[in-house]
Amino acid sequence: MIIDQSKIDEAVSTIIGYGGHGILSCVQCGACSAVCPGVKAGFPLLCRNLIRQLLNGQLEEIIEDSSSWGCQACNRCTEVCPQGVRPQEVVFAFRRYQANQLAFSTSSVTSQMNLFETGHAVYTDPREARKRVGLPEQTPTSAFDELAKKEIQTLINNSPMGELGLF
Amino acid sequence: MAKVGVYVCHCGSNIAGVIDVEAVRDFAATLPEVVVARKDLFMCSDSGQEMVKQDVRDGLVDRVVVAACTPRTHEPIFRAAIEKAGLNKYLFEMANIRDQGSWVHGHDHEGATEKAKKVVASAVGKARNLEPLEDKFVPVTDAALVIGGGIGGINAALQLANMGHKTYLVEKKPSIGGVMAQLDKTFPTNDCSACILTPMMVEAYNHPNIETLAYAEVEDVSGYIGNFKAKIRRKQTYVDWNKCTGCGDCTLKCPAKAPDEFNLGMSDRRAAYIMFPQAMPKKAVVDIEHCLNCAGREIGTLPKINEKTGRPILAPCERACTAEAINRTIAHNREGAIKEIEVGSIIVATGYQVMDKGWFKEMAPASPNVVTSLQLERIISATGPTEGKLLRPSDKEKPHTITFVSCVGSRDENFHQHCSRVCCMYMIKQARLIKEKYPDMAINMHFIDVRAGGKGYNEYYVGARKMGINFFRGKVGGLEMLPGDKLRVLAYDGDTASTVEYESDLVVLATAIELPQDANVLAQKLGLQFCGSNFFRELHPKLGPVETATEGVFLAGCCQGPKDIPNTVAQAKAAAAAAAVPLAQGQVRIEPIISEVHPEVCSGCGICIPLCPYHAINMITYADRPRAQIEMSACKGCGVCTSACPSGAIVLHGYEESQIFAQIEALTA
Amino acid sequence: MDKIGLYLGCNIPLKAPDIEQSFRKIFPVLGIEPVDLQGASCCPAWGTAPSFDLNTWCVLSSRNLTIAEAQGVDIMTGCNSCFGVLSEAKHFMKDGDRRKAVNASLAAVNREFKGTSDVYHVAHVLHRKVGAEKIKEKLKYSLDGLKIAVQTGCHALWPTDVYKVTEDNPYFPTMLRELCEATGATVPHYSRLEGCCGMGGMRSTDAEKSLGLFREKLLSIKEETDADLIVTTCSSCFLQFDMSQPILKERGLIDFDPIPTFYYTQLLALAMGFDPSQVAAISQIDRGAVISEIQSEKRLIKEVA
Repeated sequence: MIIDQSKIDEAVSTIIGYGGHGILSCVQCGACSAVCPGVKAGFPLLCRNLIRQLLNGQLEEIIEDSSSWGCQACNRCTEVCPQGVRPQEVVFAFRRYQANQLAFSTSSVTSQMNLFETGHAVYTDPREARKRVGLPEQTPTSAFDELAKKEIQTLINNSPMGELGLF
Repeated sequence: MAKVGVYVCHCGSNIAGVIDVEAVRDFAATLPEVVVARKDLFMCSDSGQEMVKQDVRDGLVDRVVVAACTPRTHEPIFRAAIEKAGLNKYLFEMANIRDQGSWVHGHDHEGATEKAKKVVASAVGKARNLEPLEDKFVPVTDAALVIGGGIGGINAALQLANMGHKTYLVEKKPSIGGVMAQLDKTFPTNDCSACILTPMMVEAYNHPNIETLAYAEVEDVSGYIGNFKAKIRRKQTYVDWNKCTGCGDCTLKCPAKAPDEFNLGMSDRRAAYIMFPQAMPKKAVVDIEHCLNCAGREIGTLPKINEKTGRPILAPCERACTAEAINRTIAHNREGAIKEIEVGSIIVATGYQVMDKGWFKEMAPASPNVVTSLQLERIISATGPTEGKLLRPSDKEKPHTITFVSCVGSRDENFHQHCSRVCCMYMIKQARLIKEKYPDMAINMHFIDVRAGGKGYNEYYVGARKMGINFFRGKVGGLEMLPGDKLRVLAYDGDTASTVEYESDLVVLATAIELPQDANVLAQKLGLQFCGSNFFRELHPKLGPVETATEGVFLAGCCQGPKDIPNTVAQAKAAAAAAAVPLAQGQVRIEPIISEVHPEVCSGCGICIPLCPYHAINMITYADRPRAQIEMSACKGCGVCTSACPSGAIVLHGYEESQIFAQIEALTA
Repeated sequence: MDKIGLYLGCNIPLKAPDIEQSFRKIFPVLGIEPVDLQGASCCPAWGTAPSFDLNTWCVLSSRNLTIAEAQGVDIMTGCNSCFGVLSEAKHFMKDGDRRKAVNASLAAVNREFKGTSDVYHVAHVLHRKVGAEKIKEKLKYSLDGLKIAVQTGCHALWPTDVYKVTEDNPYFPTMLRELCEATGATVPHYSRLEGCCGMGGMRSTDAEKSLGLFREKLLSIKEETDADLIVTTCSSCFLQFDMSQPILKERGLIDFDPIPTFYYTQLLALAMGFDPSQVAAISQIDRGAVISEIQSEKRLIKEVA
């Protein structure tokens, strides 16, 4: 690995721009990785290791790695970090970089489409089950509310998500 | 007419890089009563100073202005220089064109130069009106007070005492020794801590020049360097220490229990107790908070009489004491007694505490088998709760796997950002001692880094690895509680980027070093300040490590910042040397930049008295009328009284009206 | 009656409406009127807007909060993820610049975020507003003698600095345990209690890793507590426990029968005597035996008025 200051600067400013403000506070102690369910489950590029790669300027090189999408956003890392890095926000900043470069898994496309079309990231037709348990068939949520759906679509279209050309 | 010499310094490029020094010098030459205007690359250099001295010797100048850096560091240099050349050293004024010029206006060279000219004009205005002043001297009490009887305080006291100065050693616990007395062994020599400490304790306690006041605290301090008055509260022991032989019989008979602070709550002591076996003084104390007042008999009351035998029914402690040192009939004053002392210097060596494990929620603080490092130290000490056998607190069984966790509360913005400096080394020490005794023990140590900077320390660390102790580079993120009071350690191995999980029998937390809560109280009494990490603040982090902002008050040991024993001892000896200076000189110089009342002008209104923050003013009778008088050794020259006096009777030497008006005139020209 | 907005999220109203029904049944009995948030959408889930753009996340979350603001109520969420997403969004909205930007976006749909509605979790409302004592009063059946292993889930615990209600010690949480103990059951501790179940982004990205993590948790429960049932206050955790235990059993990765899992309010609804076909009807693991046990005559405390 070659250390190229311009790449490091780009990686750091990209992450900070996407919301990972604490990245430079990291002293690489590893407490976050010690308690991260994702690291424990075997995702290689999360928490301390992800921050290490980014601080080494390896932004593009790791863009295809799916580890960041395994982050639960549980924030146990944020709770134990002794330097206020808020590692979860760094992971999500990296995710946003990946997403805006269209480097996200195909499985997650369904969630985005669901969100746009029904206002719910996970959607199944609930009417039968709801009737069975004695509830009105239609949920009071956006799924059965045309105005609400319109609002959500407007908001998404007006956002950077809309610019990705998914919808 | 004054003859003012102005000397403008380039300070290399520090000033000249921003300010046009030549232009400032040219401008200075045009000012009224300026007879000489020169410039130099470095005014503080030999040649620069010589330039000024020569002008003085030649009779060219009788007032000196140096336009350069800050008077805080350089005023004494130039004052000394002109004094050597034969001019009163207070006929000197410094114009700061660096800190307030080139350093802050680096982007505006023109503006900075114009401002420098104005600042120099102001200094010249004042210099023209300066009057010669004479230093004043007050005598010094040849005695010192050392607050804190740990290894730092003991060393400072011994050093002072051996120099021939009477020293009071005040310790709030019943015995001197401090935290070092609680340690089993010390790194990197693995000396038995008590073995190397007790000879020093004995020497200090028996030294003809040291008066040890144990179980005592500083109640109040007033005065100033060379002339401090301190009130020491000798706390009530309820035991006559003149008679007590330290036999310990009372401690065996007392039925009351209290957590033993010496063993950090891992065992109990009695209400009548002796702090530890090698205590000095070895005297018993009755902890009245936990005393049961056996048979309902309060202190200061007569015992009931046994109807059958006709003899008094004594409390168990009274009956046990063969030296008749415990007498509960005496109405002991609960507040103890105040002893007033006078000293010339004070050294603060009050030490530290380690953070309690309860602060660290992720480290299963409720588990009995999670302990702090100092608690482990007590467990492996022969005088500790398990007589030195390494046993788990929960079931007194031998552990098979031990975990050491570093940086708990240190290097942590949630608690203390500082590094506690000694933990890496003492964890390695504890691990080595345990591995030596129990070679089959699995010892896992988790660090962020290993910090082994002292003499022999890296060798000690490498030796630990060779013994088969396991080191992991990664901070432990938490502990989970397993059945059987075991712990699951949630750790990380940064070197292989993998999580680490295993079961441990005993987890030792290296919690942060900090000052106890009552440090705030002591600080207020002595005028001590705190630094960013909440330790006592030294005068200058590089060049003034043992002094404080209060002249005559010095710091030694961990109360100034975390450090190991060699550094504590070195700092204690340094503090003793610094504290001995006023004592050796026999007198203290009072700078004459202080206020003085002209009694013939004073109307005796008394407005100045409550305004003085240093309580330096009182009323005397002068020509049959009450007039104010300022105690020169207490006055700090703040000027509040000077500006408040409605009669204009007070003059602040070195900042007189004529001088200040001249400055204002120059600045507004 | 105290009113509070019922924020349903996605899984509860769409996949597990029996959990929704359990909310609607128990809260009025406990003195709380759940108010519908008409037109509420996904919080939005971590894998959607939060993974794309911080402001867009805040826009969609704030839209949901404005629905509650319009009715002058706080909200309670049934899913931990929703709780985390909405709480953090509200926290981000404290920044003046972000608030301006988000409200500028919301103006396009005639909405304005004011910040007047607080975000709670159903568990918080039950533990703090209602309290164990009141819950005890309303029980019809006692769960005395039953052993429950609790799953608090992640997002309700961390990060403590942005939540309205937090545990005294999030690493050793007690709220759900106390809620379960209020029904008379015993709730033994197990070492991996505060650990993640593996649902959520992890499962959709790599189901195998998620199952591996989940199995560790399950083994800790079985070996250390041998619980009769598992109770959670997170709908995501519920789905993981309900779906993945049978998968593990099928693959031979566990050798015991899947442990019946309930969302806490379902358990409470059963203990209050409500109809299981409404409040605890949808699950992959057969809960019939436990439900009958809970609602058996020998467990009756008193007649509920």
